[in-house]
Amino acid sequence: MHPEIARIQSMLAAGGYVADRDVATAVYLSMTLRKPLLIEGAAGVGKTEVAKVMAAALHADLIRLQCYEGLDATTALYEWNYQKQLLHIRLTEQSDRTIEQREQEIFSDAFLLKRPLLEAITRPQAPVLLVDEVDRADVEFESFLLEVLSDFQVSIPEIGTIRATTIPYVVLTSNRTRELGDALRRRCLYLWIDYPTYEKELQIVLAKVPGINADLAAQVSAFMQMVRRVRLDKVPGIAETIDWGAALLALHRDHLDREAVEQTLGALFKSQEDARAVRTQWLDAWLRALERLRGEPQPWTQAQVERAAAEAAGVWR
Amino acid sequence: MAVTTLAPLRPGNLAANTVAFARLLRRRGLAVGPREAADALRALRAVDLLDRTEVYLALRQVFVSEHEDYPRFEEAFREFWGPDGESTGAPPDGAGEDPSVLTDPDAAEADAERLLQEWLEEEAADAEEAETPGYSPLERLTQKDFAALTPDELDRITALVAQIARRVATRLSRRMRAARRSHLLDMRRTVRHSLRRGGEILELLHRQRRVQKLQVVLLCDVSGSMDLYSRFLVQFIFALQHALGRVETFVFSTSLTRVTDALSRADIRAALERVARTVPNWSGGTKIGASLREFLDGYGARLLGSRTVVIVISDGWDTGDVDVLEAAMRELRRRSARLIWLNPLLGGPGYEPLCQGMRAALPHVDVFAPAHNLESLRRLERHLALRG
Repeated sequence: MHPEIARIQSMLAAGGYVADRDVATAVYLSMTLRKPLLIEGAAGVGKTEVAKVMAAALHADLIRLQCYEGLDATTALYEWNYQKQLLHIRLTEQSDRTIEQREQEIFSDAFLLKRPLLEAITRPQAPVLLVDEVDRADVEFESFLLEVLSDFQVSIPEIGTIRATTIPYVVLTSNRTRELGDALRRRCLYLWIDYPTYEKELQIVLAKVPGINADLAAQVSAFMQMVRRVRLDKVPGIAETIDWGAALLALHRDHLDREAVEQTLGALFKSQEDARAVRTQWLDAWLRALERLRGEPQPWTQAQVERAAAEAAGVWR
Repeated sequence: MAVTTLAPLRPGNLAANTVAFARLLRRRGLAVGPREAADALRALRAVDLLDRTEVYLALRQVFVSEHEDYPRFEEAFREFWGPDGESTGAPPDGAGEDPSVLTDPDAAEADAERLLQEWLEEEAADAEEAETPGYSPLERLTQKDFAALTPDELDRITALVAQIARRVATRLSRRMRAARRSHLLDMRRTVRHSLRRGGEILELLHRQRRVQKLQVVLLCDVSGSMDLYSRFLVQFIFALQHALGRVETFVFSTSLTRVTDALSRADIRAALERVARTVPNWSGGTKIGASLREFLDGYGARLLGSRTVVIVISDGWDTGDVDVLEAAMRELRRRSARLIWLNPLLGGPGYEPLCQGMRAALPHVDVFAPAHNLESLRRLERHLALRG
């Protein structure tokens, strides 16, 4: 392994992020080739987290642009500070400057509010720019973004062109609610993050739920492999696993049984429908599979857990 | 064998191999061009070439831009760079034979540049090849169905359907404009304007949000039980597509076929002919669930969203798995703004949606409406408006 990639992997680990090699390689290449990194994957697999730990590892600031439908260039780039402008106009009412001069005054740097994109390219030290859930923004915004990411300069009619003082490290995430344009895709390095394997999730749970015992962590992680096999409206991600682990711990549970799961179902399933389906259709099968698994010596392997999960799913299919 | 035909002019040169690999990927349908090839060369210079996994990951991150293409890349990688036998860090074929690429990056770069240039010149020739359409005797046969319609009949129905579709489309766009009339305050212009009055805001200036077009997805059942209606409905869709703009059309029976492009032909007869040619199972059995799933997986990400109206046109007679249909409908509902089911049988007196497929689908449908005559198509407008 390239020493830099190994270093990034351990940096990510130190930041509490269990990074597979593909993640570490992607972060490294994106930094080395200075290309934006596009991360796709289901909700809750830790896409945003990559940008956060990347910033921490680089000792750089993280600037986040959360996308949503209707997000437009002004909100992402800059806005004028209208209150300050109005106040300034009032205060200089008596001055003998011409309207043109005063106009120039109020449309100057001092009255400019930088929004994430402008902020990211005018920092003295390169920050990490996280463009989160870019699939939620409109197509128009996507092309605007593409322009900024290609030129790293923006033009403001009243001031002129602002060229980047630094090129930020860019991470884009997408949940694939909308297909992104080819142009944007090809501008970026691409990384798909899957739901974690049993082993990886166990590692994460142990790292992120302080005080959890190894037994419960193993059961929780195995349970998640079964959960993610069935079709649900909102498949719980890693964050939910961690929440759930913490909830179980708070209730002083040291193993999974029907009561423990039912008490904490809310931490895991955010949709009523899913919670009901799990309680009525799946839970018994999962718990039985888990029971069988507990008869086998630990540590369990991915294959063992997968077999148990397949059996549990087979009960109803 | 593909490896030998792809063998670069100078075996053992990493740059040449990489460009050749890029071309292989492109031939396999990946969006790979000279820019990606150039990036790949840069990436390879940044990673450990003796580490196969690392080379694999680096190339994938550069060449692949969609998760769906991972398997195709994997296959091509194995084929081109050899199987994963030497897991103890042997270099990909060729990379080790010419150590100069490792020590003399300039030579590699000059080489790469030349190869990329060559590739660019070949691009044009490649593009033409890809256009040749496929054709089979079986497909020829299905064309006859449409030939049975007399030109006169076809013209008359088409004209009528087009008229209705146009009216539906204009009314629809007017309605959407009205719904979005809420102005947004344009503070920038307001402040600038007030400057001329000493900062007194006497007048609020507004800016108008651009109207965002509705995306319509039509999924039309063309199976045997729909025979009477589907041909007619496809014409309506055809006309609607011309009037409305952003319509994507798919037909399905046991599998799904995208016909948007076929329908965008100016001449309807040519368009119908082309549809008949592209749909392999016209009038066959129906697997609605599987077809919807095919749509979700293949096109869902691109077409579905909060501005998408999905219209399924089918009688709900399903020979496939009901669970699959249920799940697909649920997902379709969740990922679109509105899900409409048009059922030609619904217009008949005393019809009740008793068949299994229809019963499974119904709970997930926003609008369940008939589509058996021109009048029912006219009423489609009401259902298409997003915020009515």
